[in-house]
This record gives sequence, structure tokens and C-alpha cells, in this order.
Amino acid sequence: MTYPHPPEKVWRALTDSQAIAQWLMKNDFKAELGHKFQFHLEPKPRGWTGVVDCEVLEVDPPRRLAYSWCGSGIDTVVRWTLEPAAEGTRVRLEHNGFRGMRGWMVSRMLGKGWSSRILAKNIPELLSRWSGEGAVPDVPEAHCTTRK
Amino acid sequence: MKPKLSMLSSRDAFAAVGDPTRRRVLDLLAQGELPVRRIAAPFAMSRPAISQHLRILRDARLVRVRRAGREHYYRLHARPLREVYDWVSHYERFWKGKLKALGSFLDREERRERDKSGGQA
Repeated sequence: MTYPHPPEKVWRALTDSQAIAQWLMKNDFKAELGHKFQFHLEPKPRGWTGVVDCEVLEVDPPRRLAYSWCGSGIDTVVRWTLEPAAEGTRVRLEHNGFRGMRGWMVSRMLGKGWSSRILAKNIPELLSRWSGEGAVPDVPEAHCTTRK
Repeated sequence: MKPKLSMLSSRDAFAAVGDPTRRRVLDLLAQGELPVRRIAAPFAMSRPAISQHLRILRDARLVRVRRAGREHYYRLHARPLREVYDWVSHYERFWKGKLKALGSFLDREERRERDKSGGQA
């Protein structure tokens, strides 16, 4: 994703608590290594507490920002990488734990390597759902607590 | 409060397929039922290490086990993958929307700053 704005502006949008609240979620973020904070999603989504527990893992303005993302029972890492580009700033977002998995799942579910018998038996209507239509699935409740 | 079983199990499934070795084991089992020694064969790993991976997959309900004589046979049970898949898709949509919102926010801020400096000039 490339935004027609300089890296410093994008960095501010990613690291200023009030700015973050405007496009992402309510939060008590501070751009300090080791700072523990929470995101609050409001209104609370169906089937989820709406709270994400985080800890700042990397701050390197205006290039790299990473925080742990512990919500819906999954301990993952969100990593932002900013690169100056001719047209503005190239922003890369990685939500770890999802990346390699997605490709693997998609290829299996599309039948490359896994027999269609298995897919037909176990994963009906998946491909129609994959088109992106339909309701957003419930996200299970958070189980992990803020890290000490 | 005790979490609901379905929530726990999908979290386990998520953690289970987060590991590349376990994904390879699932790939193997996708060809059909296999005894532990056959599952372990392609891996440069001790039997206990493979058994540990199989236990995690079993706890996540991603594999089923059957005992025949002295051997344990494992087979794939792919259904929990769907929950994981839904979950991944959910986050993809979430971030897609947020990245768009970030763009709108940046545009809005720029307009505001321009208006402000224009007003002062």
C-alpha cells in the first residue's frame, strides 16, 4: 500500500494515540519500547471481548514499528514497515502467524495436494465463503492476558 | 469464566497449524491414514518429537488416531481448519478496511493542515 504522504506523516498516524483512535481503534499507545497497551474495539464485535492486549516490540521512527497483538486468544505480532517512495510512503503491514498460513490453507483448500474427497467431506461451502461475501465470522474470546 | 470448548479448540487449531512441521504432517496425512513410523520417516526428528507434534494436532482435533495392534494410525480431520480459515479471512478484511481508513485519515489531516496554513497566509 502506498500513501501519497511523507513517511513522517504516516509515522505520526501510526504512533500518535489520538490519531490511531481515528482510523484504527481506541488505545493507550505510546511509542516506547516495552510499553504495554490495549486496543478497544467499539462497539464490541459479536462473540468477542473487543480488547486486544499489546506490547511495543520495536520503535524505529519513521521506519519500523512492531507490537504484540494478543486478542481472540491468539498471540501474534503486528509489524509496520515504512519506506519512502517517489509517490509518498510505501507501507507494509504484516500480522504474523497469518502470513505463511494463509497460502498454505488456500492451496490445500483449493485442492492442490489434498484430495477433493477430504475437502468435500470436511470443508463444504468454503469456497463460496472465500469469495468474501457473507457475514464476518465470530472471533473467539480473548484467553491470553496482558503479559507481565 | 471457563471458555467455551469451541473457542478453545479453534485457538488450538490455530496454534497447531502455525507450525510448519505440523503443516507438513497434515499434508502427509492428506494422502491417507498413516502409522506413526511412516509419518516420522520424512522428518529429521526423533520419534518423541514427532509424537509431540501429533499430540498437539490431536488436541486441536485436526487428526484422529486409531490403534491397530501395536501401531497407532493417524488420519486427517480437516474440519477445524475451516474455523482457522474464517479467522484468517476475518483479520484480512479487518486490516484491509483499516489500511483504507488510514489513507482517508492522512488525506483529511493534509487538507486540514493546508486550510490552516492557507488561513494564516
